[in-house]
Amino acid sequence: MSQRPALFVAIILAAAVVLAALPLVLPPFYVRVGQLMIYSAGLAVAWTILGGFAGYASFGNAAFIGVGAFTAGLVEERFASLPTPLLLPLGLVVGGFACAVLSAAVAYPILRLRGTFFAIAMLGVCHVCAELNNNLDVLQGSLGLNFPSITPAGWDPATFFYELYLVAGVIVFLIAWQIQRSRFGAGLLSIREDEDTARMLGVPTERYKRIAFVVSAVLTGLLGVIYAHSLGYITTDSVYRDDTNLNLIVYSLLGGLGTLFGPVIGAFMLVFITQVVLARLLDFHLFATGLLLVVLVLAAPGGVLGFVKSWRLKRRYAARVPAE
Amino acid sequence: MSAPILRVEALSKRFRGLLAISDVSFAVEPGSITSVIGPNGAGKSTLFNLVTGYLAPTAGTVSFKERTITGLATNRIAELGVSRAFQIARPFRDLSVAENVRIGALFGKAGARDVAATTREALALAGMTHLADEPASVLTVGQLRHLEVARAIATRADLLLADEPCAGLNPTETAAMIDVLRRIRASGVTVVLVEHDMPSVMEVSDRVLVLDAGRLIADGAPAEVSKNPQVIAAYLGTPD
Repeated sequence: MSQRPALFVAIILAAAVVLAALPLVLPPFYVRVGQLMIYSAGLAVAWTILGGFAGYASFGNAAFIGVGAFTAGLVEERFASLPTPLLLPLGLVVGGFACAVLSAAVAYPILRLRGTFFAIAMLGVCHVCAELNNNLDVLQGSLGLNFPSITPAGWDPATFFYELYLVAGVIVFLIAWQIQRSRFGAGLLSIREDEDTARMLGVPTERYKRIAFVVSAVLTGLLGVIYAHSLGYITTDSVYRDDTNLNLIVYSLLGGLGTLFGPVIGAFMLVFITQVVLARLLDFHLFATGLLLVVLVLAAPGGVLGFVKSWRLKRRYAARVPAE
Repeated sequence: MSAPILRVEALSKRFRGLLAISDVSFAVEPGSITSVIGPNGAGKSTLFNLVTGYLAPTAGTVSFKERTITGLATNRIAELGVSRAFQIARPFRDLSVAENVRIGALFGKAGARDVAATTREALALAGMTHLADEPASVLTVGQLRHLEVARAIATRADLLLADEPCAGLNPTETAAMIDVLRRIRASGVTVVLVEHDMPSVMEVSDRVLVLDAGRLIADGAPAEVSKNPQVIAAYLGTPD
């Protein structure tokens, strides 16, 4: 796979084309489920650039969804006279930029914390941003913020946002893939495995962590900008969500922490289970999701991909024993 | 005599009340194997931590190739060409042996490199080629030590600090490790060892430094040092 990058890209793009064609045949309900699946997978992959590759699990990435969304909304409101097709690009640029500034500013102190301390500090960052957003009137967090409709004439909004998430998701995925196979990615991997040893081998650990953090934050923010447009109206509560913070970790745990496909598999699985399989069991749904997570984590602590890998290893060693 | 590759001048390190390293000075010739010995707690590992930048000294300087490296970050010192193999092996457990070594080849000393070739050569030098695809998590203690050395060498370091590479190894494994250290020296890398295993120290070292309670009490050829009464006293204690 890593030896044949052109083939890999071709497969990913082919899969994307298949996904892009699905709204033609799917009933509207499933188009909305698909939207949520792809959006969640995109967020999960952006999360994994720092959380999975470098082992710095953030419990507060919704901060960047919120900051990206509100920055985009406030700026687009000022430039409401611009032609509609320019609004989303403008929002993406300013939203992404705001996330870059915020993440670069908090990176230095916060990335000195390891493990659980980093995770909880990020939760703090998320809550501080949400509180500021809610309480500073100029940011309109409690009042709410309207987003212009950007759906082109003749498009169904659900299908339009489905395709938009798909394009963004594929871009995020390919960026993460390029990072994973680069020298930078190898450095992040060594940080996850043993940060002190990595530094001793010459890995510029502080710089690498900061870059991964900013990239992860900006990609999360860009998806947040699209999300806000798809909602049409946001308040602080609709973007700075703790269930998002939690789910981003759960997706990777389910699919395989530290892998590229794990977060995608995890996000698809969990969204499908909660939105489709358990949709009719509203009261039961959180309980069932929790139970499922406990069972999965106990039975397959490495997630789906970890389970496949350990099964392969076992077969490899089992095949070797009789030969000796 | 060529310029020393490593020079330590009046180095001291104090941990609150404890003077772990006290006014230590020495210089290491390029292309040699130098061993640092001393009883437990003499300050050997602290000395390595000071040279690699893991700890900052209380006083004194460390220079590498005539350049002061005191106060530089560990990864900067590695980029200049200093590497270290830990006593308690710290492999990247989720990676294979070759992937571990490749990290060293990808980073380490600054400058152009052929990552695949460097990885291969380091594996061969440490005698680990046959284990290249094994996960690091299944290796024995002896194999892990070799992996530490292979990964350190893959950084293309000019100076390798090896912290007790033979500790806990059986005689066969110890002989294999000594063989690897000799090959490393032959490839032009300067080696500084911390070692407890006296026969291996005497066999492999060009020079021996003896630390006791943070002070350098002897410095010379192995045969000389082993006859030094102060050294014997430090190891065996003095009769009252």
